[in-house]
Amino acid sequence: MHQPFAMTLLVMLGFPLAVVAEVPDSFEVDFQRDVRPILSNKCIFCHGPDAEERQADLRLDTADGLKADLGGYRAVEPGKPELSALVERILSTDAEEQMPPPDSGKSLSAGEIEILKRWVAQGAQWSGHWAYVPPKRVALPTHERNDWALNWIDDFVLARLEAEGLEASPEADRVTLIRRLSLDLTGLPPKPSEVDRFVSDEDPAAYEKLVDRLLVSDRYGERMAVYWLDLVRFADTVGYHGDQDHNISPYRDYVIDAFNDNKPFDEFTREQLAGDLLAGHSTDAKIASGYNRLLQTSHEGGVQQKEYLAIYAADRVRNVSEVWLGATMGCCQCHDHKYDPLTSRDFYSMAAFFADLDEAQHFKDGSNELPTKRAPEENLLTKRERQELRGLEQQIAQLDDNLITHTKDDPETRKILEQKLAKLKTRAEEIRKNARKTMVSVAIEPRTTRILSRGNWLDDTGEIVLPAVPKHLGQLEVGDRRATRLDLANWLTDAEQGVGQLTGRVFANRLWYLFFGVGISKVLDDFGGQGETPVHPELLDNLALELVQSGWDIKHMVKLLVHSRAYRQQSLEPDALVERDPYNRLVARQSRYRMPAEMVRDATLSISRLLVLDYGGASVKPYQPAGYYRHLNFPVRTYEMHRDTRQWRRGVYVHWQRQFLHPILKAFDAPRREECTAERARSNTPLAALILMNDPTFVESARVFAERILLEGGESDVARVQFAFREATSRMPDQLEIELLTGLLDSNRGRYQKDADSAAAIVEIGLKPGHPELDLIELAAWTGVARAILNLSETITRN
Amino acid sequence: MQNLLNHDAVASRRTFLRSSGLGLGSLALASLLKDDSSAASTYTGVPGIPHFAAKAKRVIFLCMAGGPSHLETFDYKPELAKMDGRAMPESFTAGQPIAQLQGKELKCLGPMTQFRPYGKSGQMISDFLPWHGKIADDICILRSMVTEQINHDPAHTFMNTGTALNGRPSMGSWMNYGLGSEASNLPGFVVLTSVGGRNPQPIASRQWSAGFLPSQFQGVEFNSSGEPVHYVRNPPGVSVAQQQELVNTLGQLNAHRNEMVRNPEIDTRIAAYEMAFRMQASVPELMDVSDEPRSTLDRYGAEPGDGSYASNCLLARRLAERGVRFIHLYHRGWDHHGDLVKHMNTCCELTDKPTYALITDLKQRGMLDDTLVVWGGEFGRTPMFQGKGTEGGRDHHIKGFSMWMAGGGIKGGMSYGSTDEMGYNAVENVVHVRDLHATMLHLLGIDPQRFSVPFQGLDMRLTGVEESRVIKEILV
Repeated sequence: MHQPFAMTLLVMLGFPLAVVAEVPDSFEVDFQRDVRPILSNKCIFCHGPDAEERQADLRLDTADGLKADLGGYRAVEPGKPELSALVERILSTDAEEQMPPPDSGKSLSAGEIEILKRWVAQGAQWSGHWAYVPPKRVALPTHERNDWALNWIDDFVLARLEAEGLEASPEADRVTLIRRLSLDLTGLPPKPSEVDRFVSDEDPAAYEKLVDRLLVSDRYGERMAVYWLDLVRFADTVGYHGDQDHNISPYRDYVIDAFNDNKPFDEFTREQLAGDLLAGHSTDAKIASGYNRLLQTSHEGGVQQKEYLAIYAADRVRNVSEVWLGATMGCCQCHDHKYDPLTSRDFYSMAAFFADLDEAQHFKDGSNELPTKRAPEENLLTKRERQELRGLEQQIAQLDDNLITHTKDDPETRKILEQKLAKLKTRAEEIRKNARKTMVSVAIEPRTTRILSRGNWLDDTGEIVLPAVPKHLGQLEVGDRRATRLDLANWLTDAEQGVGQLTGRVFANRLWYLFFGVGISKVLDDFGGQGETPVHPELLDNLALELVQSGWDIKHMVKLLVHSRAYRQQSLEPDALVERDPYNRLVARQSRYRMPAEMVRDATLSISRLLVLDYGGASVKPYQPAGYYRHLNFPVRTYEMHRDTRQWRRGVYVHWQRQFLHPILKAFDAPRREECTAERARSNTPLAALILMNDPTFVESARVFAERILLEGGESDVARVQFAFREATSRMPDQLEIELLTGLLDSNRGRYQKDADSAAAIVEIGLKPGHPELDLIELAAWTGVARAILNLSETITRN
Repeated sequence: MQNLLNHDAVASRRTFLRSSGLGLGSLALASLLKDDSSAASTYTGVPGIPHFAAKAKRVIFLCMAGGPSHLETFDYKPELAKMDGRAMPESFTAGQPIAQLQGKELKCLGPMTQFRPYGKSGQMISDFLPWHGKIADDICILRSMVTEQINHDPAHTFMNTGTALNGRPSMGSWMNYGLGSEASNLPGFVVLTSVGGRNPQPIASRQWSAGFLPSQFQGVEFNSSGEPVHYVRNPPGVSVAQQQELVNTLGQLNAHRNEMVRNPEIDTRIAAYEMAFRMQASVPELMDVSDEPRSTLDRYGAEPGDGSYASNCLLARRLAERGVRFIHLYHRGWDHHGDLVKHMNTCCELTDKPTYALITDLKQRGMLDDTLVVWGGEFGRTPMFQGKGTEGGRDHHIKGFSMWMAGGGIKGGMSYGSTDEMGYNAVENVVHVRDLHATMLHLLGIDPQRFSVPFQGLDMRLTGVEESRVIKEILV
């Protein structure tokens, strides 16, 4: 069982074998892990599923193709490399014979050739692509160490570590644990008081209690929603040309609610794809059906309707296939897929599911105003708004009763009750009046969908297709009627009749990524041949099945992941791992990475206590540089930042302008949400540094944080530095850190003592009124220290 | 078995992936960051690139956003004049893409100006562009351009990335990724914009996006008025010395922390802060043109801080001098659906002379030899009349239009390709946008076929999957 480590790891991690000098004799070839990636990368472009591209009528992506009779010989003769044309051709040095052909730009390394030879020699075992095979429950592996595993995730992780001769890392200290959990589950750093409580909690179930507390917080849904909104490309503007605002914010609130209410993922899927088609559908389902309207649209004068119908159809196919299937169907708009068994017919059949969506109105009425008209739209109240309204209505009814029955002879009480009643009525009226408009799905007579040859929308000669799922994944049993979006949604999550188990694997992998920093299969949006064979296929399979069998219970899955010992490890990287598992694929430690954009903003606001935790509502507009929208037109745009408490709300609520994403979001790699984003980049650029140092959101946070330091941080400079450092990083600074920061404080003090005008200037930044009684010079000097602390790498790092 | 691993490649790949957060899975791409701590400033390009000796070191791309009419600039069509006012023959237009003229009667509109020959080469240039006449012998006019997108937004995306799909890198990002930057205190890809002419075209920031490449290669927009780069100035009340001390202290604190956690990402972040601080000095210095003699300002027609195309041309020269690899100017006034003469007068007044000044200034400084300058819109305009406004104009047109290239290995004083007698279809030596990209890459010493990055399972190229052609005939 013990593979030579470096070899296994290299192959497993998808390293090009060009870096491998030799293949050890003991190496046992595994088709999925070793052979399929080579075939996929080097052969299948010309010998794969795309019938038009296929050379010599030879397919190397199917078992039949590999062993087909090519006229007295076969590409692969199991057990007999010397009789296999494939082996002969890859060994050939004759430019006419050699495979891959020299002019293809592809070549095989010595290691890859050896792998292929050995695979044929060892019997050319073949199996279907891992992502298309339903997951299998695998018995828990055994391992030697018996004091480590806390749940079955750990059994898999540990068994693998032992097989590789690696050791798990020790559990992180409690300060790190609560910081990690708070960021992962709520997107906010813990307050020092919360850290203290957890560190001193002697209850053996302290950790589980903490997880439970975080999971019931509204902040959990806000944090998880960010990821889903990236996937489905939620934004506040249309994206193309004039990039006008459109009405969709209730959909964002629906997503936040769904995670907070732990809505089962299958229901979540149905409501978004087909909420309007559900019998007696709820208001929530209608809001959710806004999913079908999230794509980019154009209101440019001179848009050719037919062209844009094709563009919109393709956009929807790309998104639904990437979000739920982890498939890159976009390729099939113009041709059969080069690597995966997906055809142009599959693509247009998938598009046909969405051909019933009413687009005509928006072509007719779409306008260059803000927001643009994008019928069908409706004014709808979100779940929380409806709940509040119901509560108010009940109270109002009761008060009405009281007024009639109890207060006839007591004018004093009557007056109080009447005042109370008026207040309640005003609030109820306010809620009703502020019902936000939101785009919804409305089904009309479906448009005809044709296969467009080479994606050419001018071509009317293509065959007409009906809604159907990709052929290689099965078919819908709908009898004679036309299949609908609801059939599609059911099929995506139905574990028996549909591909629910495969969908489960796609989503389980993404959950893993959210809590471990890298997917079990690294490529989160492509489970096809060019994706990555999972590092831990059995673990991923079991997680997929757990997700499905739990009734698509996402909080259950999150708990399972964060309860594991694997999750609780330190993120420090021992020397041994730097060399042997630099990407932390085997989970011999936790991961350490910069927080996502919204978390950077929210953490800073939280540390300064500027953060306003209102829930839901229309999108908010924080500070933004003047003229940032000057390139927008139709109409010309002026950004009106919010001058009330909306200024300090969480990042998930910030206005998402596709063409000019807010500078903070952009600098920290939030996507423009034009397409599905399953994994964000984590860059470190000078522009991000400029934002964190100089953007008013961060400078204002620093000066308000400085007020807190002066008011709450104790009397001495050292005590205050300790207070401030701990607020931001959850830990106490060491001696050197204290010295560096007090040094910075002193020089700031010196400078502001000589220049009170500058001190006044920095403490005036931002809308938040300053504290009237604090010493100006001290406040300015401490603002300098607070800026340093808020800019610390550690402050914006999850570890 | 450790010797099986190529340690250098792994270590640098790891740094790259960590700092970019992208699973690009390419060793070529990965082995680029050799030294963790200097990652943000001294990236020198993909190993092996340039593939061969480069003619040009940098590119200045003058984008005339909105789509200038080729029929009133560089494509002289006397036959179209004769057809003025008559029905456009259906043989040209049947089944062709069409924008705002959908469902309208199509009539010909003759050229709305005169053309005359200029320079030794005698290139025909319209009366709207007299200053271009003076550089006729420096520029190579491509009269047979074609593109695939008929609406502005996707057409810009196509011109910049080679595809209308979103999420792909802009050409400036590709070139910085391939070659690295020679500017240590400035980004390698800078964008400047100006307005004037008809209702300004929206330009999305995705036009200078790094797409799937790491964000260090994205274009950075410099504002020619107000704050030159967002937040490049210190906050009010913070002096340069204080900012310097902040960056130093942060560097020390982060380095101290890194002794324990040993995370290469922290080194990258320290370098990013240092670069940010250097930019705080170098960007304002660059934008402050007070050190230019009055004669230079006059030559361009620039007034410091006016945000004009003229100022941007002068800044383009300054950026080129400082080693910026790709400088992209957008002038957003060229969408002339109606009142074409009026708007052409405005646009040409604003851009003709500064363009001339840029070419001659570069030439006098000996920089035109290794600076490639490209001029053009995202498409051309129809030979057919469109009547928005009070006077005639033209609709979007993609089947034939004109651009020009100059400097950096381009033969000046020639025209290449041609459209039919109506100026509708490019018919001779057709130049597709991807041929333009291939030619630009070639001049920078990059073989377009061998310059790819794996993304979503495919080897992505600026020139796409279709065949592209380096236009050898126009090279020196």
